[in-house]
Amino acid sequence: MRAAGAPVTVSPADLAEVRAAMTDTTGALAFAGAGTKRQWGSPGVPAEVVVTTGALDQLVDHSAGDMIAVVQPGLPLAALQAALAAHGQRLAIDPPAQGEGATLGGTFAADDAGPLRHRFGTLRDLAIGVTAVLADGTVAHAGGRVVKNVAGFDLGKLLCGSLGTLAFVAELVVRLHPLPEAIRTVRVPADTETGTRLALAVAASPVVASAVDWQSDASGMLSVRLEGRPAGVAAQADALRTIIAATAGREVAGRAQTLDGSDTAALAMAHAGVEGETVARAATLPDDLAAAADALARAAADQRVEAALASHTGVGLHTARLRGGDAAGHAAVVRRWRAAVVARGGSVVLRRRVPGVDGLVDAWFDDPAFAPSALALMRRVKAQLDPDGRCAPGSFVGGI
Amino acid sequence: MLGPGGVVADPVQLRTYECDGLTGRRVAPALVVLPETAGQVAAVVRACAAAGVPFVARGAGTGLSGGALPVADGVLIVLSRMRRVLSVDIANQRAVVEPGVTNSEITQAVTAHALYYAPDPSSQIVCTIGGNVAENSGGAHCLKYGFTTHHVVALEVVTPDGEIVRLGGIGDLGYDLRGVFVGSEGTLGIATKVEVRLVRVPESVRTLVADFASPHAAGDAVSAIIAEGIVPAAVEMLDALAIEACEAGTHAGYSLDAGAALVVELDGPQAEVEAEFAAVRRLCEAAGSTHLRIAADDAERALIWRGRKAAFAAMGRLSPDYFVQDGVIPRVRLGEVLERIAGMADLAGLRVANVFHAGDGNLHPLVLYDDEHEGEAVRAERLATAIVELCVEVGGSITGEHGVGTDKACSMPKMFTADDLAVMARVKAAFDPAGIANPGKVLPTPRLCGERPGPYRPHSLETAGVVERL
Repeated sequence: MRAAGAPVTVSPADLAEVRAAMTDTTGALAFAGAGTKRQWGSPGVPAEVVVTTGALDQLVDHSAGDMIAVVQPGLPLAALQAALAAHGQRLAIDPPAQGEGATLGGTFAADDAGPLRHRFGTLRDLAIGVTAVLADGTVAHAGGRVVKNVAGFDLGKLLCGSLGTLAFVAELVVRLHPLPEAIRTVRVPADTETGTRLALAVAASPVVASAVDWQSDASGMLSVRLEGRPAGVAAQADALRTIIAATAGREVAGRAQTLDGSDTAALAMAHAGVEGETVARAATLPDDLAAAADALARAAADQRVEAALASHTGVGLHTARLRGGDAAGHAAVVRRWRAAVVARGGSVVLRRRVPGVDGLVDAWFDDPAFAPSALALMRRVKAQLDPDGRCAPGSFVGGI
Repeated sequence: MLGPGGVVADPVQLRTYECDGLTGRRVAPALVVLPETAGQVAAVVRACAAAGVPFVARGAGTGLSGGALPVADGVLIVLSRMRRVLSVDIANQRAVVEPGVTNSEITQAVTAHALYYAPDPSSQIVCTIGGNVAENSGGAHCLKYGFTTHHVVALEVVTPDGEIVRLGGIGDLGYDLRGVFVGSEGTLGIATKVEVRLVRVPESVRTLVADFASPHAAGDAVSAIIAEGIVPAAVEMLDALAIEACEAGTHAGYSLDAGAALVVELDGPQAEVEAEFAAVRRLCEAAGSTHLRIAADDAERALIWRGRKAAFAAMGRLSPDYFVQDGVIPRVRLGEVLERIAGMADLAGLRVANVFHAGDGNLHPLVLYDDEHEGEAVRAERLATAIVELCVEVGGSITGEHGVGTDKACSMPKMFTADDLAVMARVKAAFDPAGIANPGKVLPTPRLCGERPGPYRPHSLETAGVVERL
């Protein structure tokens, strides 16, 4: 007998054990990896059974010639990258939690990604095959081991970002990319207006950036990452300086620095947040960085909350980190920031938060007028795949 | 509900719509409607839902798997009148278009700003973006740039109960229904607005044709290029029979004495492309290339591509009839699979020409036969099916870009288990509980799988040289 309220933890080591973990139990299920994003989504109903991916941590196959890997969900991303790097390859994502032990399964379930999403997208784009186990024990495959494949519905897209509310992901096939020979990062001080102008100018130029990021620390810094052959990267870094001079003036261009390598680690910190912070993520059009930043600054100043912003500005995704003040202040900042961003067609979701925030602001939307227009359809998808509502109940948008 | 000319009920006119690019299957619909707005599409779909009548959406009708094959007692909803480019946002590199806009028209709308729409199915001058969304269309350059699903950021969709919903985009939350809808072949609803991402035109493009003694040797060169960490914009291969056909048709300058020709194209920033292009030349030579032809300018590059793209249409010069197959294999098994296909062709007493996207293992074997010869069509069709089953056996797919449609619904169980298909059917039921959206496509049904397709016949657009079969 277990103590009342404490969930049972199961660590299946193969597909049969995953099925058994679902069919031999009753009550709310939660799927857990390294736990780096356990706060994402709404709090939902407490789990009675936690199915962990810890014993499903194998790199099942790496076909270097096909540039694909077959991976179990519990494999830490860092371990996967190390194994692939030995063959000059990588999974082209760099989510902030990679350094904290984040697993491939958790990264997929949360659709988390880092600066490289600018060029390579997220696991939504890179996962080409999936094996899922539904709460009723049905094992379903979709996609396959080849990149080019249009047979059947793309269930991987449905599961990616579903926060474990539809099924347990037991295996993924991912598309790989070559590790670049050379990496350089050009950093230039820029406020939000200048940062936006520069990011748009880079996008309009022949320069192919792997990442275009802005952060509010040190009164604003834009960084552009270049990857490729040494000669190509050097030529592109020169082209970037010309673009900066033409867009922001020679004085700003003179303050640009070129670093060897990437600034992934620094950017990861800026997006992940730490204990004691509330973290929210906004989506806007790429040219709306300044509006998003201004709205955040105004909301935070009113609540006497300290706010920092880090932005994958090339793709219009902005992470706010709130610290200081109290939970009520954090919740109020999120609500006000969300109202401003939603009014411009975007959205704001809550990620990490300090205790007390949850009762005051929804993780997804405040005004039912801004619920997703396909919410009823999403509920029907949930009802079809998880008719008993066992998978992470209440943790998704609209109480799904 | 619909404006003048918005309804076609005349039996002779209805026959115009009886097939798509899969010309071997023909069914005249009960009614054709040509709506001009999303509201009209929704009204038609609501009427279908109320009456329990199935509907099928159609764009330009260039699909190659019978995805737009009408249902005899159903309504065919033709989106070709919804062809406005609604908005273009140059700064954010986005465009919002109606489903009847052609793939090429999107690029035309933004080309002055050095932008383009990246997926390039070979029928791009006539095929519509709505059809591209339904089929998740690719093209020769999808090796580097991805498929429709990577370039469509948001959709407005009429669901099979006639509701208009928005899927995806910056304001969307929740499940990625956009991602499920793209490639669902019209079985989950009808897209009435498509928001696409635009891509900056590359600074430099370099193209070469490398001749090899055999497809196996050419395949080794592809492996060497990939192993070097190069992601080409496109890698295409033609075997000797395909070279013969395309030279007969276009005189593009492919070597008639080569066992295989490899077309490799790189694009991107100039210094990057030059560095990698030098490596590609070196690797082709190291793999035993017998002749290298480097495109000197845009005109020569266009000629190389014209020859490559004409290979299908030109096949008629070698054989009166042929089946076009579409399957995918893991790239590393290319040489082995080509040898097995050659062996299977010998056994069947038939010739198979190979034209394919070698970079991503997407094969397009053309099974040549003569319908005048007793039993040859049946043998050819069996061989085409055996080839696609071989693709699955080696870990590939029954379709890389033509789609499942009606053509391959019965092959789905070769690739997916009964449970896999049941779960896909559950997703379909969430969108379309009554089963009225493009019934009988993608997912196998007992009724459908008792039938057999007829031989390939050229579509009128192919005969006219407007589209090719790749």
